[in-house]
Amino acid sequence: MILIHCPYCDEKRPEIEFANAGQAHVARPLDPSSQSDEEWEAYLFIRANPRGRHHERWRHVHGCGRFFNAVRDTVTDKFETTYKAGEPRR
Amino acid sequence: MSDALFRNEPVSSTPCVADGVSISLAAPLKRYSLRARTAEALETVLNAKVPQKIGATEGGIACLGPDEWFLRTAAETAMPTDTGLPVAITDISERSICLVVEGPRAAELLMTGCPLDFDNFAVGRATRTIYETVEIIIIREGEDRFHVEVWRSFAAWLWTAFTAAASH
Repeated sequence: MILIHCPYCDEKRPEIEFANAGQAHVARPLDPSSQSDEEWEAYLFIRANPRGRHHERWRHVHGCGRFFNAVRDTVTDKFETTYKAGEPRR
Repeated sequence: MSDALFRNEPVSSTPCVADGVSISLAAPLKRYSLRARTAEALETVLNAKVPQKIGATEGGIACLGPDEWFLRTAAETAMPTDTGLPVAITDISERSICLVVEGPRAAELLMTGCPLDFDNFAVGRATRTIYETVEIIIIREGEDRFHVEVWRSFAAWLWTAFTAAASH
């Protein structure tokens, strides 16, 4: 079982307490009505699918309940780091 | 009329006693979900100290998350209203029941379905976690005594899982 460090609880917790919530740092456009269909489509649906280092949102759903960001290697499934939501990209 | 007449518990009121561990249903409790951005706001409203560290308990209040606390109390408590502070207090007394797991094998029993290390789980610590597939809140009340809070609808399953694990 993978242990994931929760930046809020500040300890490593078992993987089953967590839920993946997709790619991190996807910012909603501040003025959606100014977006073209292509730009809006990109915001809604187009996601990175890297081989290797990937920024993801995770939620400690069966723990403190908070969303946070993580850097995970998609090849090895190893978590490089986790940090609180709102902190700059690492 | 006594509400005991209407109370219908999802698990047996007869404790399950096995070798080194017993599982029983706790008496009904009052439970409150306390949400606030800061512990200070909550302390002002409750006029009591609340723990700041996630997992810590103090005076029946457990800190479950950075903005979430869980108060369990035996007695009916009047909660303040209209405080003007950004604090949410919700009565969730009947949402869950409490199973008391007691005995020298109590930690071992919990570890049959939960990957946390309960041998190194300090007395007085509380956490939300998961047992197999069921979300629970575990509070270590004593060296050999754990309180397991589980939602009513999951309680029958958890009772069966605990009693099965206890007999092995």
